[in-house]
Amino acid sequence: MQEVKSDPVIRLEGVARDFFDGKQLRRVLQKTDLDIYPGEFSIISGPSGSGKTTLLTIMALILSPSEGSVLVQGNDVAGLTEDSLAALRLRYYGFVFQNAALISALTVMENILIASVVQGGSVSKKVRERAEAILERLGLMEYAHTKSEGLSGGQKQRVAIGRALINEPMIILCDEPTSALDVESSTIVMETLKEISRENRGVILVSHDPRVFPYGDRLIQLEDGSIITDTGS
Amino acid sequence: MRRSAALKMLFHDRATALGSIAGVVAIIFLVGQQLSIFFGLLNFTSVLVDNSGADIWIKTRNTDNINAARTIPIAYRDRIMGVRGIEWAEPIVVGAGLLKLKNGDYLAVQVFGTRRLRLIGGPSRFYAGSLEGLLDGEGVTVDRLDLELLDYPSVGDIFEVNDKRVRVRGITQNMRGFNGTILYTNLEKARELVKMPADRCSSLLIKVQDSTNVKDMVLLLKQILPKADAVSSKELSRQTKLYYLQNTGIGFSFGFTTLVGALVGVVIIALTMYTNVISKTRDYAVLRALGARRRDVFYIVFMQSMYIAAIGILVGFTLLSLFLTFTKDTDLPSYMPWWVPPIHAIGTVLLCILGSLIAMRRAVRIEPATAFR
Repeated sequence: MQEVKSDPVIRLEGVARDFFDGKQLRRVLQKTDLDIYPGEFSIISGPSGSGKTTLLTIMALILSPSEGSVLVQGNDVAGLTEDSLAALRLRYYGFVFQNAALISALTVMENILIASVVQGGSVSKKVRERAEAILERLGLMEYAHTKSEGLSGGQKQRVAIGRALINEPMIILCDEPTSALDVESSTIVMETLKEISRENRGVILVSHDPRVFPYGDRLIQLEDGSIITDTGS
Repeated sequence: MRRSAALKMLFHDRATALGSIAGVVAIIFLVGQQLSIFFGLLNFTSVLVDNSGADIWIKTRNTDNINAARTIPIAYRDRIMGVRGIEWAEPIVVGAGLLKLKNGDYLAVQVFGTRRLRLIGGPSRFYAGSLEGLLDGEGVTVDRLDLELLDYPSVGDIFEVNDKRVRVRGITQNMRGFNGTILYTNLEKARELVKMPADRCSSLLIKVQDSTNVKDMVLLLKQILPKADAVSSKELSRQTKLYYLQNTGIGFSFGFTTLVGALVGVVIIALTMYTNVISKTRDYAVLRALGARRRDVFYIVFMQSMYIAAIGILVGFTLLSLFLTFTKDTDLPSYMPWWVPPIHAIGTVLLCILGSLIAMRRAVRIEPATAFR
């Protein structure tokens, strides 16, 4: 029986991106069509310079494509203002960056909560309870009031996952989250992300580490700005 | 939450945060102490007027500096005393003198003569002796700030001024003038010292019965004495200060050093705030990626500059008040009018924002894509 997929959370239609390298215009991402579905763990891989990060930042609404359309929840984001794109990121997206990129001046709890109030306002009781539940789930409750700089790499990355979850996003974008981690920490992080994708969230992970491939439902491989393999299509 | 995050991000790099605070402290303290000395010196210029206890001064026309006033006929007093509403009118003599020091050198002094028995316009603050000492025919006062210069005289010691004998009958407390020591004495002794004829005086000090009526009385006295000038003490004090401001270098000198103090502070703030933003580039990029708008990042850096301003102002004014306390009653004139600190604080906040502008500009230009590099 054929699996029926829900509507994609992100759809790229003929998206391409050019950069001016100082001498000439260079196409770093060829025309690409891609659908990302909720509940799907997609891994984007490829050698350095293949266009992984360009593709990720276009999906993150941070980089605008030179050609084509990006649709989030079925809505074309072309022409939206920078503030509207920021509002979409806040509402639908969670991010896990390379080396966690936590704010070292803040505690674990503050790092998670700041993601809910970046546009102002105060932290509601509900959000605080959600943060506590996330920390509990990630096994980090005892570090809630510890400065993030005092944590190990694996713990930091789990806090970053917690930060990505606080706004209950539809999509979580991960940029090389295991690149600086040992095998044990990588395994914990990948299993956590896999678990999160099962909660009907689309998880997209960029990595060139083949050890993470088995965790994905879908492997998208890029080379010279083009998708050469997509196990999900 | 954003405000506390801003504070924590600021103090996470303590060296740059303290550097920025030092910039604000520099503005508050350097500018503040320059201003206090400036106002202290200005007060010296008008000490004769401010200390007179009079409501109105009668002086020669076209003289806007009481220290340089020429003489008027003492007979004016009789005409003034005939005016309804005048409580008293007292002549004073102001002139220059040379006081012979114990080592044979001379010290330029300003002689101020006040009429016995009222001794109106005489000194009000005494370190030793009292105003009644001027009732003595040759009695004078010297100021405590000049004791070292005068080789620490005691009450009863004798000096020569313009080759005439005077006897120290009191030591005043901070009653120095802009031109140096003021030697208070009685009217007769002052006439003798500055060689002023008995039918002349430098000015007439007037007290009116109804102090709310000074303005009208000034106008009336101008009509009665068309060859002289009547001016309220308040206005004369202002005119005298303005004269010194315009005709000496103190305005420019203090203005320049104040400007340099402010500039040094702004540069320190600008450099340290910018360094702070640069070192936190990835943090701001992450916030932008998470959904912060440019104005949200601006808000964080703006709040940081406000924290710096608040802490710096607190520390700066504490240091400034210590400076004012330690320089009180010393030969360093320092005086801070009540209205200066609030203006100084507001000005400093604006300078702190000015210093933070480059950092704010840099912060709002950080692109969220930086978080992925």
